Amino acid sequence: MGVGILLTALYLQSESFVAPLIPAIALQSLVIAGLLGWLAWTQQSVDLAVVAGVVVVIRVVGIPWVLRHQIKSFRWKVREIHASHRVTGHALAAVSFAIIAWFVFEETLGPSFPSPSYALPFVLLIQGLLMLATRSNTLVQVIGYLEEENAIVYAAAIFASGFPLFVEVVVFLDVLGVVLVGIILSIQRDVTGTLEEGQEDALAG
Amino acid sequence: MTPTGPVLWLFIVLVAPASGAILALIPHPRASEWVARIAAITTLAAALALLVTSATGRWGTYLGIDQLSDVFLVMVAGIYATSTWYSRRYLRAVHQPYLTASTYYALLGAFAFAMLATLVVTDLGLMWIGLEGTTIASALLIVLERKTTSVEAAWRYTIIASAGLTIALFALILLYSSTGTLDAFELAAAPPALSLPIEMAVALALVGYGTKIGLFPMHAWLPDAHSEAPSPVSAMFSGVLLPTALYAFVRVYRVLPSPAPVALSDLVLGFGLATALVAAFLLQRQRSFKRLLAYSSMEVMGLAITGIAIGGIALYGALILLVAHAFAKSAAFYCAGNVLQETGTTRIDEVHNLGRRLPWTGAAWVLSGFGVTGAPPFGTFLGELLIVVGALATGDIALAAVIVVAILVAFLGLNSQIGRMVFGGRGAEGSPAAGRSSEGGIAVAYLNVGVALALGVVSLPYLTDAIRAAASVLGGSVP
Repeated sequence: MGVGILLTALYLQSESFVAPLIPAIALQSLVIAGLLGWLAWTQQSVDLAVVAGVVVVIRVVGIPWVLRHQIKSFRWKVREIHASHRVTGHALAAVSFAIIAWFVFEETLGPSFPSPSYALPFVLLIQGLLMLATRSNTLVQVIGYLEEENAIVYAAAIFASGFPLFVEVVVFLDVLGVVLVGIILSIQRDVTGTLEEGQEDALAG
Repeated sequence: MTPTGPVLWLFIVLVAPASGAILALIPHPRASEWVARIAAITTLAAALALLVTSATGRWGTYLGIDQLSDVFLVMVAGIYATSTWYSRRYLRAVHQPYLTASTYYALLGAFAFAMLATLVVTDLGLMWIGLEGTTIASALLIVLERKTTSVEAAWRYTIIASAGLTIALFALILLYSSTGTLDAFELAAAPPALSLPIEMAVALALVGYGTKIGLFPMHAWLPDAHSEAPSPVSAMFSGVLLPTALYAFVRVYRVLPSPAPVALSDLVLGFGLATALVAAFLLQRQRSFKRLLAYSSMEVMGLAITGIAIGGIALYGALILLVAHAFAKSAAFYCAGNVLQETGTTRIDEVHNLGRRLPWTGAAWVLSGFGVTGAPPFGTFLGELLIVVGALATGDIALAAVIVVAILVAFLGLNSQIGRMVFGGRGAEGSPAAGRSSEGGIAVAYLNVGVALALGVVSLPYLTDAIRAAASVLGGSVP
């Protein structure tokens, strides 16, 4: 499961069109929901089961639906501007950061968290941050934010069992994801007519 | 005072802004304005009651306050009240606002509630939720004036602040995995044995919460959001949102045994100094007066976190600086609102002769400029002086010198720009009385400048004592 999550993270970095990113982030969320469901079953934890349900409803179904709806509202093909040369660099940076993050975690926190799978949420967090930092398309930034949320849920589930207010935190993150992202995207469309920061004239596909 | 007293005031501090936010949604602008005003004043009265009674303690699993909370509650409630009061005059001059007055006041109340809730909980996870709540409530306020740049600023704020807070949450997960609790009061009373995950958690919390505090280099959202938001909201951003984020970080920092490990205190110090210095120099190049104020806030946050890292008397100075700055900076933003609506621009080089055009606003603008940059005898001066004295007490002259450079550069940069706008002039644009209609609401600016001034001149009843007690709670020394 961990490897699957990592592969979806790297795929997200290497794709310049927005449309294929949406099922990819939904798939990553689904794998994490599956992991949570499995942990809920083995630990008999109601909290984890609830969180798994929230992840399925909001991150696998809800937010991807909003994002697909946003794409349909625009006539132009949604793609990162100047994507051809940028995204290759993103993918290279993403792989490099993944390897570095893995080794940093293992060298520093490895003794406290002996299983290698503990490093994965940390790697995923770095990948989400990288996406937020390097991409200018609003929809891609939303996907980067979702990836960060997935990293948090993954981390809390595997190395902080019993994390207090776990359900509340996840719900809160998702409320932010759905409500704010939806509303700001709508305002952005109303006021500026574009989803690319400061690039109204340069939209290309 | 019966034991139920503090609980009652605490209950009002939370319920007044929350119910004000809900009731303000009634679709009648004048009614929602008065609902918001009553809610804000009630909140301030309850926060003052907590301060006057030196209320401390905890109630139930998650609610609890100490002297540090008392000081921050008064600060947040004070700026919430004056911003709500000033909003009426500001909203009237906004053409085609994106939000109705009712929605605006509801969001303002929700924003204040989220900050106040952050200050009265004992659980670090709930503090995190409160801080994330401030993002939800305040992001939409930025787009009030329906500008492309406002929407971009709101988006940048949302995405950067949320990304930062996600890192802070990761830090809390690491902390919990090592300590088994997130109760800030318990952890501070009995700090856990140091381990690498705990140290890493504190370092990540610095980066995560530092994003919301506006520390360099995670500050990218701050100048945009502060300059694009309506002035009463900018006042709340600069005056109290950044300190509330700092409060959340301080609660995590207190998990460390005293004195904190050198590597970590040096890391905090490094971020503080870098922020103060970079902001002081960036401030010189600003062409928008609202961005000028935003960079000034960043500089003050850098100085405050530097004082916290130094500890001792510098920590006491940092708290005085935060409180005095909150009141002075909010006053500066109210003046900026008047200037913007009078001149229709935020560009410094397009504003002249304010002393003649808006005499009351011009005078308050100069006073608040002095107030935010630490001119004597403002409270900010006292705060900055104590931080420098604290730095000298460590024997590190270079550290004190860097702090002094940041203070002086910011002082000269901000006040020279304000001076040019107020006294400089290529002829009088408009008759001296032409802008009198834009002077509305300026009384709250004078009120807040007065508080910032009084903090440096006299020992304010209850507030000065509370700041001293708060510094002691954090392990600082008090003269």
